[in-house]
Amino acid sequence: MARMKFLCDSERCIECNACVTACKNEHEVPWGVNRRRVVTLDDGVPGEKSISVACMHCSDAPCQAVCPVDCFYTTEDGVVLHNKDMCIGCGYCLYACPFGAPQYPQEGAFGARGKMDKCTFCAGGPEEDHSHEELDKYGRNRLAEGKLPLCAEMCSTKSLLAGDGDMVSELFRNRVVRREGRPDVWGWNTAYKD
Amino acid sequence: MRCLLLIIAFTSLTACYEDSDVTLHQAGSYKGKIDTHSQTAEQREAILAKRFRHVQTDR
Repeated sequence: MARMKFLCDSERCIECNACVTACKNEHEVPWGVNRRRVVTLDDGVPGEKSISVACMHCSDAPCQAVCPVDCFYTTEDGVVLHNKDMCIGCGYCLYACPFGAPQYPQEGAFGARGKMDKCTFCAGGPEEDHSHEELDKYGRNRLAEGKLPLCAEMCSTKSLLAGDGDMVSELFRNRVVRREGRPDVWGWNTAYKD
Repeated sequence: MRCLLLIIAFTSLTACYEDSDVTLHQAGSYKGKIDTHSQTAEQREAILAKRFRHVQTDR
């Protein structure tokens, strides 16, 4: 069974933010909500590196573990989705998520936050595929159309990869072999620099 | 009198029924709407693998 995963190759990302724009446009994400964003390490310093971050669709998702109403589920494709009809907008998933993926639209007066919104791996939600309800609540369901997430498909440098984890890792492994080494953007040398 | 009693009975018993379609919360298990797909997981896997080879390969 396939397990869908994202991988961002920091050696290729040029911080163009096209993935962010494509995601917002494809799913008509409301103002103030970013399902995907580009993070730059050592910004402005020679050798800066950028990575595109969204929900990583964890195999053992902490958001799923802490949700008090259990509105999360994992599809057969390994995509972590949630049911907005059950979500109470408590924000526990935001505290649990190491990637800051959950987003909350501002709703009503006094900045009250609404139900959680996050990357769906372009897989929609529990509503019927291609229905108006699914489009309104979760955005387009590209996986049901036989397509992969738009952010990865349109990445001009092929930095952002999305697909079955085995295929993604195979592709990345070949790149690392060609480059004769893995990038040192993160790992022990970054975490324990001094 | 009988009519009055009936009215009193109807109004006092309003909302006094038991909904048998109750979903009980169980910690750690999703009990919401089931996400259905028109294709099986194996079919989707094959289609998406083909798509991956078509659009995600290195240039």
